[in-house]
Amino acid sequence: MVYITSWDDFVEKSVQLFRADPEKTRYGMKYRHCDGKLVLKVTDDRECIKFKTDQAQDAKKMEKLNNIFFTLMARGPEADISEVSGKDQVEAQPAKKGRGRKQ
Amino acid sequence: MGSEVRLQPDPFLNELTNMFERTTEKGSVWVTLKHSSDKSKVQRNKMKTCGEKIEYRCLVRATDGKKTISTLVGPKDHQRFQASYATILKARMTALRKRERKDKRKAADSDKKEDSKIRSTASKTTN
Repeated sequence: MVYITSWDDFVEKSVQLFRADPEKTRYGMKYRHCDGKLVLKVTDDRECIKFKTDQAQDAKKMEKLNNIFFTLMARGPEADISEVSGKDQVEAQPAKKGRGRKQ
Repeated sequence: MGSEVRLQPDPFLNELTNMFERTTEKGSVWVTLKHSSDKSKVQRNKMKTCGEKIEYRCLVRATDGKKTISTLVGPKDHQRFQASYATILKARMTALRKRERKDKRKAADSDKKEDSKIRSTASKTTN
């Protein structure tokens, strides 16, 4: 089991693991409000990677990873995730409005 | 572990919110996402040999260590689900440390109350 310190590496590795074995790979999150700690885990039962944090900004980043996984899992491992973004993405387009989703 | 309760997506989200509420003082919430076709291996193999397409879904499980709930999210509802899910997390995961602003107007530690009030209204508008 490996704790990955770079968020981007964690994301990249997670997607890799999933695409290599979409049936087995699962993505989990553990949140402890009392400790203010968040741990993410991706495993295919052979490899296991984790990311832990106590930073609010990482929760925002996690949102994007959540969306990536929802897309991959509900649409298939070949789904295009280049458009996936969190709600408050700083980069590129300011939101694909028109989805009708306000607060 | 107790048995898992399968719910429709919306009741699942409600119950997930309750789980967060119940675990503010102590305890954890675990949420797991996994690909699922919700069919047994035998069924899946049968479908594969018939050339039938298996529709994949996202299985979402949540537990607080005592109670476990799950739901299946398909390609048609995953965007709505993920948006609601994000809203819940945002509202509930408030114990994480906020980053200190680099452009501090006031010196560190003085009168944080005023500052954080302004900051929180400001952050609401970035949606």
